[in-house]
Amino acid sequence: MKRRFIYLLLLTPSFVFAQVKMVNDTLQMQGDSVVVTANRSERKLSNVTVPVNIINSKQIQQTGSLRLTDILKEQPGLTMTSGFGAGVQLQGLNPDYTIILINGEPLVGRTAGVLDLNRIALGNIKKIEIVKGPSSSLYGSEAMAGVINIITDANTSIPLQASLRYGTYQTIDAGVNNAIATKSVFYQGFYNYFSTDGYSIRPNSSSRVTTPIQRYSINQQFKWNINDNTNIAFGVRLTDEKIKNDISVNNGGATITSNGNENNTDQNYNFSLNQRYSNSLKTSFRGYFTEYNAKQDLVTLSGDPYYDLLNHRFQRVENQTDWNANKNLNVLFGAGAVWEGVKSTRYDSEKVRKNNSIQYGFTQLEWSPNQKFIFIGGLRFDKNEAYASAFSPKLSALYKINTKHKIKLSIGEGFKAPDFRQIYLDFTNAAAGGYSVFGTAQAQEVINQLVQKGQIGALYDSYYKLKVLKPEYSTGIHLSWDYEPNTNNFFSVQFFRNDINNLIQVQQVGAYATGAQIFSYLNIGRAFTQGIEFEAKHKIDNHFIISGGYQYLETGDKDQIDQIKAGKVYTRDANGYSKILTLSDYVGLPNNSKHKAQFKINYYHSNGLFANLRVIYRSKWAVNNTNGNEVFDNGDEFAKGYFSIHTSVGKEYKSGFSTQVGCDNITNYVDAANLPNLPGRTFYATIKYQIFHK
Amino acid sequence: MKKTIQSIVLMVMISSSIVACTKSDTATVMPVTALTVKDIPADTVVGLSAQGIPITNGKYTFYSLERNTIVPNSDSASTKWDIAFMATRIITNGGTSGTGLGGAFVYTGLFDGLTTIPTDSIFKTDNAPTSYAITTGSGKGWYNYDGLTNLITPLAGRVLVIRTASGKYAKMEVLCYYKGGVTLAASASDADKLNKQRYYTFRFAYQPNGTKTF
Repeated sequence: MKRRFIYLLLLTPSFVFAQVKMVNDTLQMQGDSVVVTANRSERKLSNVTVPVNIINSKQIQQTGSLRLTDILKEQPGLTMTSGFGAGVQLQGLNPDYTIILINGEPLVGRTAGVLDLNRIALGNIKKIEIVKGPSSSLYGSEAMAGVINIITDANTSIPLQASLRYGTYQTIDAGVNNAIATKSVFYQGFYNYFSTDGYSIRPNSSSRVTTPIQRYSINQQFKWNINDNTNIAFGVRLTDEKIKNDISVNNGGATITSNGNENNTDQNYNFSLNQRYSNSLKTSFRGYFTEYNAKQDLVTLSGDPYYDLLNHRFQRVENQTDWNANKNLNVLFGAGAVWEGVKSTRYDSEKVRKNNSIQYGFTQLEWSPNQKFIFIGGLRFDKNEAYASAFSPKLSALYKINTKHKIKLSIGEGFKAPDFRQIYLDFTNAAAGGYSVFGTAQAQEVINQLVQKGQIGALYDSYYKLKVLKPEYSTGIHLSWDYEPNTNNFFSVQFFRNDINNLIQVQQVGAYATGAQIFSYLNIGRAFTQGIEFEAKHKIDNHFIISGGYQYLETGDKDQIDQIKAGKVYTRDANGYSKILTLSDYVGLPNNSKHKAQFKINYYHSNGLFANLRVIYRSKWAVNNTNGNEVFDNGDEFAKGYFSIHTSVGKEYKSGFSTQVGCDNITNYVDAANLPNLPGRTFYATIKYQIFHK
Repeated sequence: MKKTIQSIVLMVMISSSIVACTKSDTATVMPVTALTVKDIPADTVVGLSAQGIPITNGKYTFYSLERNTIVPNSDSASTKWDIAFMATRIITNGGTSGTGLGGAFVYTGLFDGLTTIPTDSIFKTDNAPTSYAITTGSGKGWYNYDGLTNLITPLAGRVLVIRTASGKYAKMEVLCYYKGGVTLAASASDADKLNKQRYYTFRFAYQPNGTKTF
């Protein structure tokens, strides 16, 4: 294996001096790209009224990103979280609150609210659009912090592309893209294989932080233009991953080994029929089916085998119509229905699927009275079977002061439906004192039965407050100012504030006669996140571009703040003596860093050479409440702030070959406890071949 | 019979404290000093069974607040001790636990802020195994248990108000449950979490004159 690595190194650009003419689309200035996510309809970026970041395929390639996590962690305002896979935190809101779409269709299969973004291979991605701020008026549940929409390549100018990458920890990534295009038929295929041996950053431990993984992804897309006004499209995306998770526990000198296997599959099928009636009226019918299946088993040499299953199925039909009423007014309206269901070993029976159905309708008016103003008003109503309905309005506006200055303001409501586990969980932990957690759908019924059996010791006030869960709501305000003095400079500043109500929290509702606790879920929490984001880009000359971003973030639990203001929360001083906690020592929600910054230098040459250096900083964040007051303050345990530095250099040849080498985490920063997803320094080399259409 | 004696003693004490209060302007009440006691073992782990289950001796550590010292187990049936520790449970010398007049309650507030035990306070006595004067359980009495990190942290702003075996009063605040007086980090090894737990560091103030004022 080592020899192969050296061989790949020899292919790197520094040894080659070919002069080729390259397409100069690598400049990462904002430009006037097309955005589809912000309005559910194609719009020029310059006419979008909400904050949007676009990551294009060039950026993905040149940063050497393989999985969605790799590229998102380098974006302003986003932070990757660990625990239940790699999730993304957007403007201080947890991964539960950002909807992840592939070509406009949502991904499902969250564990404890986290959708593992390592599931998504980046090989065939055209661009990623990130919309910040509540967007439930268009996308419904989960679009509370924002929307991340991954748009796969519809580019048929490259009939064949193959790439192979090899790196530290025997990490292999192999991909093939192929495309066929005729006048009326388009086909694109993508095949990816990824495997890694995993790594262990804890010394003397045989269990690995990232476990050995084998992952296959296949993506097939067809499109048929029946005539100039009608087309149909069909797409399939399949992912299968196998994770080996052997755990060795050293117990008083004896090593107990457990063999764990995890198998996750993700299937997505979509179909659409698009019809244009005239230049001002078009409609599309979409159907979508997706199923995520996660299976885990753990066989210990001594003790019971452990088995865990989660199966989430989601089906949707939808119609959307775009009507350009006149040159100042665009109207969009749509309606749809969702049937979804989850089976899990964590519910009363894994055989029975717990179901929910949603019917929804939405509309959006876009009015631009003149060249300077655009106003958008949107509204969506979701009627849910398993929990309370949701109503999501949004208003946004854009004011182009002149060609250089732009101001955007948006105010919207976002919501997140209760999780299936919050409704249906039926979990009793026999190992840890026999505590139970019941979802709201059966909590009262199950507890009543226990009362009749005489097993209940106490019922709390909170038990009598149990009712059908409402979605969690947030009201978000975003105000931004973009300044583009010339084509070489771009600057933007954005203020945001999200107020979240009805947060669903686990609450003790009673106790068994044995004293063991009984929990369920209630809509009780109130929180906020607010902050400022800066972004700047500067093109120094034809070769160098520097860019940077910074986010300042404040978060807090409003009920805790009220308690602190009332002098009812205590903490400890340096001697360990209790004292009254002051608001200045309160740090807000855990896992949130006050400061986050990134700085990048990109180099390009017309001969195809490219290089970059990326520095990412994240300040300390609270991880653990160590002073026993249940709020996070300066006396608690924090993960240290850190820098990570990444680089890559590569070259694209006229022949269609390209090579790239890179090093991630150059300074070898590791924090095994708090950053299990960050391996030490890793190296990789990639070779790619493309056939271009002449 | 015991109860009536108790209440008589109590009444005497209350009245004497009233007397003390009225006289206090002329400096009869000596301010009590707070003492800090470190690393009192409370049934610590002594080994592991063949199955890897921690072994302890299952015995209380008895402590006299009056004399500020550990009391040998041989004196467990006496009034020589005021409180005793076993893992997270703290008992007082009274009720089902002992022959003394001991009792306690958990006060929410600051140690220094508690200068006089409020007159409407209700001292509870141990009624094992159903209830204890110092409430047991995570988040209910003096500590919090984090199931993810397996760590015990004393709740901030909790004062254990103790009536001693001889019917005098003391207040105490548990500062730490781990050896060395510093709560372990979440990332500490399992071996440390096992072996360094069950060591109490606490501060207390004992009022020898029988009043409820500190």
